[in-house]
Amino acid sequence: MSAAVSVRGLRMTYGTAEVLRGVDLEIRRGEIFTLLGPNGAGKTTTIEILEGFRNRSAGEVSVLGSDPEKGSDAWRARLGIVLQNWRDHNKWGVREIVAHLGEFYDDARDPDDLLAAVGLTGQAGQQVGRLSGGQRRRLDVALGIVGRPELLFLDEPTTGFDPEARQEFHLLLNRLASDDGMTVLLTTHDLVEAEKLAHRTAILAGGRITACGTPAELARAVQAPSRVRWLEDGREQAVTTDDPSRAAWELHERFGGPVPGLEIRRPSLEESYLELIGRAA
Amino acid sequence: MNGRALRIGIKRGWAEHLQLLRNRRELITTLIGTAGLFALLLLWIGDEQVKGTTVSSGMFMTTGFLAFTVFSNALMTLPMALAADREEGTLLRLRTVPGGIPAYLVGRAVTLLCQIAVQSALILATGVAVGGAPLPHDWPALLWVLLLGTVAVVPLGAAIGCLLPGPKTAGAVLGLPMMGLMVTSGVMLPVTYMPEAVQWIAQAFPLYWQGLGLRAAFLPDAMLAAEIGGSWRLPYVAAALAAWAVIGMLLAPVLVRRVTRRESGSRLAERQLTAQAS
Ligand SMILES: Nc1ncnc2c1ncn2[C@@H]1O[C@H](COP(=O)(O)OP(=O)(O)OP(=O)(O)O)[C@@H](O)[C@H]1O
Ligand SMILES: [Mg+2]
Repeated sequence: MSAAVSVRGLRMTYGTAEVLRGVDLEIRRGEIFTLLGPNGAGKTTTIEILEGFRNRSAGEVSVLGSDPEKGSDAWRARLGIVLQNWRDHNKWGVREIVAHLGEFYDDARDPDDLLAAVGLTGQAGQQVGRLSGGQRRRLDVALGIVGRPELLFLDEPTTGFDPEARQEFHLLLNRLASDDGMTVLLTTHDLVEAEKLAHRTAILAGGRITACGTPAELARAVQAPSRVRWLEDGREQAVTTDDPSRAAWELHERFGGPVPGLEIRRPSLEESYLELIGRAA
Repeated sequence: MNGRALRIGIKRGWAEHLQLLRNRRELITTLIGTAGLFALLLLWIGDEQVKGTTVSSGMFMTTGFLAFTVFSNALMTLPMALAADREEGTLLRLRTVPGGIPAYLVGRAVTLLCQIAVQSALILATGVAVGGAPLPHDWPALLWVLLLGTVAVVPLGAAIGCLLPGPKTAGAVLGLPMMGLMVTSGVMLPVTYMPEAVQWIAQAFPLYWQGLGLRAAFLPDAMLAAEIGGSWRLPYVAAALAAWAVIGMLLAPVLVRRVTRRESGSRLAERQLTAQAS
């Protein structure tokens, strides 16, 4: 089966600012894929190009077999979209808006089941404008999946979630991906979330994908060099190396025994990630 | 547009109409703003006569309020609603669903027509209750003038809504021209009270023709003494309103398409930031 999303050499320029400088992506069907990057990296830009809301400057893009710039209504019906900022339909009731947007699809989810799935059953009769930030976000997710999309786009979906809601949200996405075979593309700037949730993650920094793979592959790809320190001639010495174990062994050989003040510091994944995006920017 | 978008749009418009009715603040503003103000004016000067005629001010004002209801709903309320829907992301949300934009536009039109119908009924009822207001003697004229008058300004209102930067600036941008038109267009004061230059300008705008058509439906021919040319000029009413309808219908789809096509999440975020900053 063809990929759900395939992107080659995607470029986007706003005026003279080059935000995307050749992005390549391949998202398989049924996978949860996160696009990770710092503020302003171009995550929203990328996702909106895929949704057909924004015209790219150059490159080839195929989403569910169509070019998003020429997407038909039938194509749109196969997508679910949760954007980063919206405060729409504030005067509608929670259940009312879920039922209303469901009407646009042939095989929409039942509003009550859906509200139960995102934990909003207690708020069904409430006005949308009175929901808390996290509840509002869950409603957005519900509205994104009401039409049983094959491919769901989520732009920073967990902003404003408390830890419990975040956990439940991860379970919900996993269930949707495994039971319904839904493909999910979500953006986040939280490395831990990407690591926990995604089958694969791509890091967007400096307008390009700087690393891509499963959590383990990613950890290996981004691992920043370790620092090995020791005391010699009364002074502190240090080397930076990708292979701290070998460096320590060589030191032991040279000293012919214990190395005074030996210390090895391997940066955490988070520190490695920060260094990576620091290098790319 | 397909049948589904039309059906969902009608339901959507009705739902939003009910939401407005349930909104107490909105309801009180409408009640006091239209019916209350109208009743006061009727009690205050309703018994006076329009200069040079035997028509009472109360009768004259009834038609004026009706015309202004259509006009202000289409050219103030509608553009402001469109601007608000853009800023809050409602338009963008409907862009994410198949057939969402046509359904949205149908919905807006339905809500608008419901509002106009409710407010018109309120004005007629107030007029009859307080006294001094006539019932129309020419029902067919009332219907076609109201309908054509609405069709003449709704697309125009949609076009204006697309051009507005945001809902907060809308009131400031639209308020003054609206007041000016209301005073000069002969709906609150007979147009012949105005200097001749103003009369000419007034006749360029649809509000004058809407008002004239409504007066033709409600008022006795005694009123003609205070009308331009001493005639109801109904063919001109039809022609002027139709011309505005055509202008609006040519303009609105282009602008609506441009505005909805440009909607996106980052644009939304940008606008919400500027709205917060100001
Ligand atoms: N419509 C636009 N016009 C001009 N510049 C834009 C526009 N939209 C985005 N940009 C710029 O492009 C860059 C990428 O923006 P984008 O919103 O894609 O970032 P992001 O990765 O989603 O960031 P965040 O994590 O803050 O959501 C930013 O520098 C932004 O200022
Ligand atoms: Mg973003």
